[in-house]
Amino acid sequence: MIVYAAAFYVFAAMAIASGAMVIASRNPVHSVLFLILAFFNAAGLFVLMGAEFLAMILVIVYVGAVAVLFLFVVMMLDINFAELRQGFLQYLPIGGLVGLILLVELLFVAGTWVFAPEAGQIVSDRPSGSGGTTNAHAIGLVLYTKYAYPFQLAGLVLLVAMIGAIVLTFRSRDGVRRQRVADQLARGPESAVELRKVKSGEGV
Amino acid sequence: MTAFSMTDLATVAPEIFLAVLGLALLMAGVFRGDRASGWISWAVVAGFAAAAGLVWQGGGARALAFDGLYVSDAFSLFMKQLTLLGSGLALVLSIRFNDREGIARIEYPVLFLFATLGMMTMISANDLLVLYVGLELQSLCLYVVAAYRRDSVRSTEAGLKYFVLGALSSGMLLYGVSLIYGYTGTTRFDVLVEQVAGHGAPALGLVVGLVFLISGLAFKVSAVPFHMWTPDVYEGAPTPVTAFFAAAPKVAALALFARVLVGAFGPLVEQWSQIIVFLSIASMALGAFAAVGQTNIKRLMAYSSIGHMGYVLIGLAAGNVSGLRGLLIYTAIYVVMGIGTFACILCMRRQGRTVEAIADLAGLARTHPMVAFALAIFMFSMSGIPPLAGFFGKFYVFMSAIEAGLYVLAVLGVLSSVVAAFYYLRIVKVMYFDEPDAVLDRPIGGTLAVVLAGTSTFTLLFFLAPGPLLARAQAAAAALIGG
Amino acid sequence: MAELWHGYLGPGAWIVFKILLIVVPLLLGVAYLTLAERKVLAAMQLRKGPNVVGPFGLLQPLADGLKLLLKETIIPSGANPVVFLAAPMVTFILAIVAWAVIPFDYGLVVANINVGVLYLFAISSLGVYGIIMAGWASNSKYAFLGALRSAAQMVSYEVSIGFVIISVLMCVGSLNLGDIVLAQRGLWFAIPLFPMFVVFFISALAETNRAPFDLPEAEAELVAGYNVEYSGMTFALFFLGEYANMILMSAMTSILFLGGWLPPLLIAPFTWLPGPVWFALKIALCLFVFLWVRATFPRYRYDQLMRLGWKVFLPFSLFWLVVTAGVLVAFGWAPRLAG
Repeated sequence: MIVYAAAFYVFAAMAIASGAMVIASRNPVHSVLFLILAFFNAAGLFVLMGAEFLAMILVIVYVGAVAVLFLFVVMMLDINFAELRQGFLQYLPIGGLVGLILLVELLFVAGTWVFAPEAGQIVSDRPSGSGGTTNAHAIGLVLYTKYAYPFQLAGLVLLVAMIGAIVLTFRSRDGVRRQRVADQLARGPESAVELRKVKSGEGV
Repeated sequence: MTAFSMTDLATVAPEIFLAVLGLALLMAGVFRGDRASGWISWAVVAGFAAAAGLVWQGGGARALAFDGLYVSDAFSLFMKQLTLLGSGLALVLSIRFNDREGIARIEYPVLFLFATLGMMTMISANDLLVLYVGLELQSLCLYVVAAYRRDSVRSTEAGLKYFVLGALSSGMLLYGVSLIYGYTGTTRFDVLVEQVAGHGAPALGLVVGLVFLISGLAFKVSAVPFHMWTPDVYEGAPTPVTAFFAAAPKVAALALFARVLVGAFGPLVEQWSQIIVFLSIASMALGAFAAVGQTNIKRLMAYSSIGHMGYVLIGLAAGNVSGLRGLLIYTAIYVVMGIGTFACILCMRRQGRTVEAIADLAGLARTHPMVAFALAIFMFSMSGIPPLAGFFGKFYVFMSAIEAGLYVLAVLGVLSSVVAAFYYLRIVKVMYFDEPDAVLDRPIGGTLAVVLAGTSTFTLLFFLAPGPLLARAQAAAAALIGG
Repeated sequence: MAELWHGYLGPGAWIVFKILLIVVPLLLGVAYLTLAERKVLAAMQLRKGPNVVGPFGLLQPLADGLKLLLKETIIPSGANPVVFLAAPMVTFILAIVAWAVIPFDYGLVVANINVGVLYLFAISSLGVYGIIMAGWASNSKYAFLGALRSAAQMVSYEVSIGFVIISVLMCVGSLNLGDIVLAQRGLWFAIPLFPMFVVFFISALAETNRAPFDLPEAEAELVAGYNVEYSGMTFALFFLGEYANMILMSAMTSILFLGGWLPPLLIAPFTWLPGPVWFALKIALCLFVFLWVRATFPRYRYDQLMRLGWKVFLPFSLFWLVVTAGVLVAFGWAPRLAG
């Protein structure tokens, strides 16, 4: 149990620290790297909760795919830090005010925390990894039955995102010479090679 | 944990029909190329009509599907048909416009279709999860169509601005949803009602979550102080897209507003009513005053729509059956007026190019008497002059406010509509009394003329037969409040 | 004290021992894989290969390792030192930790987790970070170009690897690697899922940046790609990580398609060899194909690489996924779980 608690505190502290570093670090590439670290620790927390399927999916989707593209874009951007900081000071009062209000609200909320009566039930309903059904099995059971409707809708959202990306960025250019593998393969020696007798000393 | 049944699928038939149609048309479009965009657009319009038929077929009886995630009742019937009408008309307006501007592509009607599907999902949502997914489906389509004219800087800017602020609002909404889930342990509306009603004073976290939820929704209906995106997006987006923005998404977001607040958080009416009153007053005031100085007609319409949302929210603030009825009637009339006004704006072309300044309307009464007459009708109606349709909308909304004892709100509403009348009437004055400096193109095109004639006739002659709309709005409002 | 020993230290020591039991042979395997590569390439090109250090050149890898260990690690002046040094570590550590879930025989695995396949997939998708961090932190155009190429390539091929894995999972009904192997007792998945097997293997070549997809280190145009600025031990870590990844991908191929530790037929002469030996033989076979491919094929052009990934493998694996699912459902072969 001590190992469990220690692991929890390490993961939680790291997640919070790297979350803070995401906004605090000056170099945007470092920010993204800290973001990745934060994802990792969140995955670790998921594992501790017995949700190993979610943990792995978090790593695969967010760290393995989304954050890579983030990093790609951030590395290629040419960001002027001096300019960014100018704006920062200008908007600090209002931003700070909004942040303060949110913080106070959060404190109020935390102060009046009452667990919903069902909350305990939800935790105890959680399928454990060792006995009975596995995580992935349990998620699959509700995802494709009870939540089939939002699941399908989420698929449509992704489809729309794809259509949107194509509509906004794809331009079919004329005059591009594309490689046609079938044509290349269909080409036989008759059309490609010409045999000639060359008399010595005369050249072609 | 049982799988869904055929009755579930039958209940959701309109949505399934639209989704399958969208996929099929997308495939057809990809294989046929952009020249097919014309007939695909008409196919989508026909699909909207068919979906409206399916919705009507489904009837107004309350039915749940997918384990209570989806609800179909008289309220959703009314709002869905209204949304389909708004989307269909906006799409009809776009077909010729896109052709002339050379931006006709097959994805455009398909995106309209998916946006409408998202709106229908929102209207029928009975769960915060479905609410969010539907909202995202709709919003993503809207971001893309706002930036649809991708070679224009203004259109791209509109899309980007809309996207960034929309993402922010989605974030706030999700934060609210998570708080609500955390404090009640459920995301289903009908369970939420029982939870909220049963526990006496609500937990503070629940109220904070509700505030965030309202903020997120207020973004979508562009109520002050969450209106910042509206003028830029309205101005930058292609005009038919703006017409679409002004009509259909507003309907869906208002439906969501009503369903969440009245349906799921009805017992908390004291908590949310003040927020809605504030949103309403701020929107009416800003819509009235900020629009006065505008010279671009699309920007003007943006502020006008903010103001109209203020009036609509009065009905919600009242929180009773007559308030909801007012909201529904106002929304329906607003959709028709809005589409009609944008049809007039689409007529504003000079030598094949679009013009958008109010000054360009000068002398319209002499060059295009019919268009000028129609626009005058819409302007008078929007400012709420009897016996045009717009008057009835305002009348029922103010009546409900008085009924609910919100006298200040009603008085402020009347005052702001007097201020707003100034800029509506200024357009009429420009059209009828200013000298034309250059003539707008004619003819205006068949579809445009038909839409214009239909919407203006409705606006003009609504007072002759308001009965059917009133009855249906009454039924819809009663369905929501009753259960 | 005894409680402390039984509760924490004892199990801890046992875990460390198991880890060493995997890591040490793995690193030896990596060392001799480099030798094997040079020998195989040499044989295919009618040369002798390394044959000076030790009998048949058997001590060559040790000599190479010693040389790299003694060389100076140079950090370029414009580089970002923290990220620069973290990159090879990330590559190496990721290549090692993936082995935690690989089953060498029935029950012979460090961590028998329920989501073993996902863990492997996650770790292999993280491999891209070492490369992209190295390329960025080196502050060099060649390194950066190499890193960008590599990242784009790995992300592209991961997609089809994912679909291949899903189709295997559909036939098994479990994400546990041991269960996947046991499901192949009757028939290795390489036979019914042969097209997916081919897609997986080729994608594995791309995922490990091996020929013919070794554009990230295309020496003719990019000097050496992302690791151009690295020297000494930092370079050695990249090198070890890459080769360990090759072995890992071969192990994954064996587990997913070639029956893991199972003998080809469950009858007498085959069952005499223990499971881990069969597993090692299968890995060695896959590795030989890796080297064989390198000796045979010229390098792909970048547009051809992307075309193959997105326009051929992705639709094809998606199609086969649907076919597999359809067949499983139509014939009632889909695995059923209790509960």
